Amino acid sequence: MPAALHGDVDLTDSADQTRSRALNQFLAGVELKAFKIAQAGLRHEDDAHDAVQDAMLQLARAYADRPAEEWRPLFYRILENRIRDMQRRRTVRGRVISWLPFRGDDDDEELDPIAQAPSPDLQPAQRMELDQAMGALEKALGELPRRQQQAFLLRTLEGMDVAATALAMGCSQGSVKTHYFRAVQSLRAQLGDLYV
Amino acid sequence: MNPLHEPLTEFERNARTVLEESVRRIDGRTRSRLNQARQAAVAAAAARRTSWWSGLTLMPAAGAATAALLVAVVLWQRQPAGELPLLEAPRAAAEHAGVEDMDLLADSEAMELMEGWDGSFYEWAAAQNDASGESNS
Repeated sequence: MPAALHGDVDLTDSADQTRSRALNQFLAGVELKAFKIAQAGLRHEDDAHDAVQDAMLQLARAYADRPAEEWRPLFYRILENRIRDMQRRRTVRGRVISWLPFRGDDDDEELDPIAQAPSPDLQPAQRMELDQAMGALEKALGELPRRQQQAFLLRTLEGMDVAATALAMGCSQGSVKTHYFRAVQSLRAQLGDLYV
Repeated sequence: MNPLHEPLTEFERNARTVLEESVRRIDGRTRSRLNQARQAAVAAAAARRTSWWSGLTLMPAAGAATAALLVAVVLWQRQPAGELPLLEAPRAAAEHAGVEDMDLLADSEAMELMEGWDGSFYEWAAAQNDASGESNS
């Protein structure tokens, strides 16, 4: 930061701090939902974390100076690109690994029981019901085509309107409506009304 | 949430509840990692702004350096026309002497001096000198 001259008020400094606070607040507001969206697309916790981390960094480096109202669709656009890149890379890696005689198993990570513990403020019966609904929804979401999954999660979980969703997905508002409608139809056909 | 701005269906309401609960249940380790990623991103944005500003504050120094370089280039370009190479200096000096003679001829005061010149005295003195040299030998 340029040092303020003696007796001057360094407006740049305080403007930068305000901007940093706003960016921090925005990212804090989206990070958990973004993680869930990435997890639905990648079905792997570490990959989902990496995708969200990359999206945060790219937004901060390239678009931090843009108006804050643009951050949400931009962030989800970047995140979607990262998810797609990782899916492609995984497909290629899967093809290569399938040809190797010895392949490692990625699923032998140790789980931290404290970190994995669910939030304690639900009754056991409620929690079990919710667990079942969550498992069923996550499974059904995982089987949706990526664009339908994305439209459904951005609108239902992130609460974005059609215009912002279209910006984030890089398609027309009409396409968003179509993807969303098909996603709801498909999920409802599998899950009924998803009672919780 | 409905794309046609209709009220949410029961399914959509329930789906949202379930999804929000799944977000609420994200474990502490993941939350901590996301928090770290966020701090790194905010720091990266701040660093980018800082480097932009420091670039701007270096502008006067960079401008002065560019101006100095420009002056040096201009002077270097003009030097061959203004200064002669070393080997051509004697010829240039002779040419310069010729120009001095021309100046003398053109100068009216110098012509008056020439008119007052006692040539016969200098011829007599020279002859005397020659004669004494012959008698000595």
